[in-house]
Amino acid sequence: MLPSKDEIVQRPELVYPIGEVTALMFQRYAIAVGDLNPIYFDDAAARAAGYPGIVAPANFLTSVLGWQAGPAEPDLLADGTEARILVPEIRGLRLMGGGHDLTFGQPVVPGAVVTARRKLVDLYERQAKFGLLTFAVSDIVYTDQRGEHLVTCRETVIAAK
Amino acid sequence: MNPSEIFFEDVAVGAELPALVKVPTTVQLFRYSAVTWNAHRIHYEKEYAIKEGHPDVLVQAHLHGAFLLQMIGDWMGPRGRLVRFGWSNRGRAIPGDTLTCTGRVIDKRVVDGQHLVDLEIVETNQRGEVCAPGQATVALPSQEARQ
Repeated sequence: MLPSKDEIVQRPELVYPIGEVTALMFQRYAIAVGDLNPIYFDDAAARAAGYPGIVAPANFLTSVLGWQAGPAEPDLLADGTEARILVPEIRGLRLMGGGHDLTFGQPVVPGAVVTARRKLVDLYERQAKFGLLTFAVSDIVYTDQRGEHLVTCRETVIAAK
Repeated sequence: MNPSEIFFEDVAVGAELPALVKVPTTVQLFRYSAVTWNAHRIHYEKEYAIKEGHPDVLVQAHLHGAFLLQMIGDWMGPRGRLVRFGWSNRGRAIPGDTLTCTGRVIDKRVVDGQHLVDLEIVETNQRGEVCAPGQATVALPSQEARQ
């Protein structure tokens, strides 16, 4: 039995103090993607494009799943995922990324000190041809040290038994 | 990278974006998991992925999104700005798949001085199967603003 909508909205949000974003962090990300856009690497190119200097790839913050040093390996679930970011109803199930909707605010620049707030907004089940699926929908809002909105991600995680 | 700059006035509804072709490797998946602190075993441990019913290790959901974003960024140029971007993970992809990102302009409008263009985008594999459909809204520079 899944909790009611009322119970879902009353659950507390998870707050992640991400800390300071550095150029190395997001440049490694861009290299891993294979996206060598100069606005991530070259201050002059970024300034010519109207930015104060290099900026992070638009989906950098929202793609990083963990921001603390841990968890230590024994504390991961059997599939390697981190229990903390998953609602209890889908922990230990087979997980797949369902979809993401990003709304962008200010660009993410080196030195930005970022905080993320994750809140569950919906939890529902759908019968699929290969069994019952649970959908967990969360909003994750990222802001910087001045309270400026950087990006919001509405994330859907699909869990199968 | 597309070195030329696109202005709002240059864009026609129905126009196609230049396609971006990506062939993810196990090295790419490993590095992407590493930089995103994603220890989910389905992305780097083939035996485990097979145990979960997958044919091989899987391309990360966010990497599909990153490929689509790269295509948009190459097309809109450095002065374009993303307003919204969303995608769904509809089909699995594994290392060695040829993933082609394509896109099309479906609307353009001026709202509060912003020159907005709506895009329909999709990533398909070498068999033509849809892996990741999505949509985006970008703000483009305007020729008017330049004058």
